[in-house]
Order: sequence, then C-alpha cells, then structure tokens
Amino acid sequence: MTKEKINKTALILFLFIAFTIPLFVRSATYLHILILLYFYAYLTTSWNLVGGFAGVLPLGHSVFVGIGAYTSTILSLQYGISPWIGMIAGAFIALILGVIIALPTLKMRGAYFALATIAFGEGIRVMVENINNIGPLNINGPRGIQIPPTNTGFFNFMFAGKEPYYYIILIMLILVLTLTFLISRSKLGYYLNAGGEEPEAAMALGINVAKARLTAMAISSFLTALAGTFYAQFTLYIHPKSVFSLDLSFEIAFIALIGGRGSVAGPIIGALLLRPVSDLSRIYFGSHLPGLHLIIFGAVLILVMLYQPRGLQEPLSRIYNRIIEKKILKTDK
Amino acid sequence: MSFLKIDKINVYYGDIQVIFNLSLTVEKGEVVSIVGGNGAGKSTLLRTISGLLFPTSGQISFENQKINSKQPEKIVDYGIIHVPEGRKLFSLMTVKENLIIGAYNKRAETKIAETIDNVYQLFPRLKERENQLAMTLSGGEQQMAAIGRGIMAHPKILMLDEPSLGLAPILMKDIFAAIRKIADLGTTVLLVEQDVKNSLSLSDRAYVLEHGQVVMEGSGKELLKNPHIKEAYLGM
Repeated sequence: MTKEKINKTALILFLFIAFTIPLFVRSATYLHILILLYFYAYLTTSWNLVGGFAGVLPLGHSVFVGIGAYTSTILSLQYGISPWIGMIAGAFIALILGVIIALPTLKMRGAYFALATIAFGEGIRVMVENINNIGPLNINGPRGIQIPPTNTGFFNFMFAGKEPYYYIILIMLILVLTLTFLISRSKLGYYLNAGGEEPEAAMALGINVAKARLTAMAISSFLTALAGTFYAQFTLYIHPKSVFSLDLSFEIAFIALIGGRGSVAGPIIGALLLRPVSDLSRIYFGSHLPGLHLIIFGAVLILVMLYQPRGLQEPLSRIYNRIIEKKILKTDK
Repeated sequence: MSFLKIDKINVYYGDIQVIFNLSLTVEKGEVVSIVGGNGAGKSTLLRTISGLLFPTSGQISFENQKINSKQPEKIVDYGIIHVPEGRKLFSLMTVKENLIIGAYNKRAETKIAETIDNVYQLFPRLKERENQLAMTLSGGEQQMAAIGRGIMAHPKILMLDEPSLGLAPILMKDIFAAIRKIADLGTTVLLVEQDVKNSLSLSDRAYVLEHGQVVMEGSGKELLKNPHIKEAYLGM
C-alpha cells in the first residue's frame, strides 16, 4: 500500500465518521458543540488565507461574520428574501468592505496591520451598536435582531432539529478546506507565501505582492461572511456583541495560531482542541469560574508559541507520517 | 543606442539623497560591474532600476523605452531581473519551488522545464538539493539558488547584488565563474560587488561609485591597474 493510498483511506474514513456522527450522537448538546466546532474551523480556515498564507495577522475578521449575519437577517425579515440569497449578498458586501479595509492596511507590517484591523473591527461594531436604522433598514442598535422561529424549511434556512445545521456547516467546511487546499497549491498560494516571507525579493521577481494579498483578503472576507449567515440562522439571535465582537476575532486567531497558521490542517486541529475546552468549561465551570476557557487558551497559546511556533499541526503530522512509514515498513517486510 | 541607459538620475530615501546625477550605460552582452564601498549607493541604484524605488529626476531607458517610475512587475516583464542582496530565498519552500516561482512571468512561464534544466546544468548542486527546503541549504548553495531563481525569469539583463556576500573564498570563485558563464551564454549582467578584484577581472566594463556618483569608469582590466583603485579598494 502506498502512502497516498493510506492518506486517501484516512480521509475517506474521516469523512465517513463526520457524516455518520448525527446517527449516533443524539444529544442536542453534543451536536451543538460539534456544530460550533465546525463553524469555528470554517472561520479559521477562511481567516487562514490572509492570516496564514499571506503572513499577516488580521484581528478584525468578526466584522465579516457580522456583515454576513446582519445582511441576510435584515433581508429575510424585512423583505422576505431567502437567507440563502442573503448569504451571497452579505458575502459580496463583506468582500467590498474587505477590499476597502485592505487597501490602506495591507502595506503595513507586523503589529501595525494587526492593530489597524482591530481598529476597523471595533469601529464598525461601535457604529452598529449606535445605529438604529440605516434608511429603511432596521439594525436595532445594541439590542440586536431576533429571528422568529416560525417558518422552518430549507428555503428559509431554518430547521427544528440540529441535524440539518450539522450537515450544512459540515459541507461548508469541506468546501472551504478544498478551496484553501487548491489555493495553497496554486500560483496565488505561492505568491502569498513568497510575499509573506520576503516581500522585496518577491517584488523583484515580478510578483505583485499587494495584488495577491488583496485577492486573498477579498476571498477571505467573502467566505467569512457566508458563515455569518449560518450563525444567524443557527442561533436565531444576533447582536453586535456576538457577531461583531473582538472576542470572536481573537478566538479565530487563537485557533489558527495554536493549530498552525498557513497550513490546511491547522485550523481543524486548533478547533478540535480548543472548542471542546471552551464549551465544556462553560458547561461545567460556567457558574463559578466564568471565562476559565480564556485562561486555558492563553496558557496553551504561550506553551505552543514557545515550543511549537509553527503550531501543533507540525508535530502531529510528523507523528502521523512516522506511524504510516512504520506501517509501510512492516507490510514491506 | 544603448541597451540599458541611465541618464542623470537623482534618488532619495525620504529627505536624504543617495544618488546624485548618475549616468551609466550597459550594452547588450556585456558584464558591467559597479564597485564601491559601503553606502556608495550601489544597491540603491539596482533597486531604482528594478522599480522598487523611484528616481525624483532623470531617466532610465531599456531598449529605447522609458522604464523609470514603472511598477516592479512591469520591469520584470521588460526582462530586467534583480537578484537582491542577501539571497532572500523563500525559506519554507523547496529549492525547486523557489526556482519555479522565479518563472512566473509571461515570457518565462511556458519554458519552465527547459530553463530549470539549464539552471541545474549551471549549478549541479541545486539538482541534488531540489526537494530540500531552501532554509536547509548552505550559504553558497543559497546564493546559487537565488541566482538560479533570477535566471528562471529569462532575463535580458540580470542584476546581481553582492552575490559574494558572506561566502568562503572558494565558493566565491564558483559563483564568479558561474556569472561569467551566464554572460557567455548571452545574458547581459549588471553586477554590484564589494569584492573589487574578482568582479573587475570578470567584467567587460566597470563603474566606480563613491557617495552616489560615478567617479571612474573603464574596462575591468584598466581599472585594476588604476592607482586610485589599487590604493582605495585593493589595499596595494
């Protein structure tokens, strides 16, 4: 058996497990945890296009989640447009906003870019919190918007059980992973990688680094906003503190940094590790130790940055490769 | 008409002027060296030609087209390739990926496989290391990879910034020999060096830069015999 075959088998096995989980896990709580896990893995994978491949650290991605959530929700509640269509509309608005944010900021280096994206993110959150109406659109300020759970059905992107949500976010995650995998192997991927590490050398070779980053930012904000709509339809209540918050932006970056930015598997590994910590600590310690998960995140991040600066994907893929090679050796003998 | 012609350019970093009214020419097929001490403006000159910096006045033309104040990717399209100082390889990519990324422009892209063979012929060591990460190469190998990456772009003129930087004398010889070979195969080379002796002996012509100005020019051999050069750069 070749290594590629083993990889393929493992992948199919993973997919099979992911698709059959709802048949065994009947508890709504655990399904909910898994859905959020996929949701965060999706967000981090979208973030990874800019934060990982392009080598800069955006810390304002919740803006795009918020734009996606608010656009589809307002369109469906006030105009009766299906959230599926609102999802695409929100994604395009996020794309335009992403480009607007990127144009002045992507030339900045290191911490300055991170700070500038925080400023944009927080600025927009404060605006949303303080605006009740934009023209005919009812944003409802800090109170947020509740989606009445009346019309369930696929067209309305609203379901009584958790299973449909599970499959929707799972498929979204698989698609976004495939996309980032393809991008990482494409010319754009190489441009981003080269421009992230040695911008001047890349430019001297004729690579338009700024354009590559702008493209990545556009794709990333588009994809992130799609998940915003999912979140709105899943929780049926959005408010600025939930979808526009800095915490959300930070959690995405946490997952990426711990899992391994710039690799396709990193966001998955990060989410698999951190999301259960976050949810279980909220379930078991939420009453007397709220915020415990953030302390754990911080400690884990410090340890990972000290001992595995490229994230946990590196040692894990090394172990995986070693196990496979040993297995191949065994079958050869 | 000259191949590459630089006419009275002035270049500033912010308020500080680095290049003063500098003119020089490079003819097709030549190896031209620019020598001079630290801070003479050698690297600045190359960065200006490749569009990473813009001159405030003066003109740069290549094959009779004005190219100053064009974006770097445009300049690469004209066939001017700059191999920056300090190698600047993409350390987490393999040697082969580093080479391939050098060929991502319209002229070079269709000929990747062929050019890569040429590079491997010039630097057989790179062939042995093709699947290694660039960060694991030795200094000399990294310099080979950086020059190879420049060749991948099918340059009409290859500009090398201090290819001997930080190399052992024996490796320096290999690199200089390779540069001569590149020129003999038909690529014009503009070489910036601090190693005056080696670069002058392999060049057809050379310019001496001091404080952002050309203070001397001539054939490589002529300059090697010049008393000022001997005293200031060769320590004789």
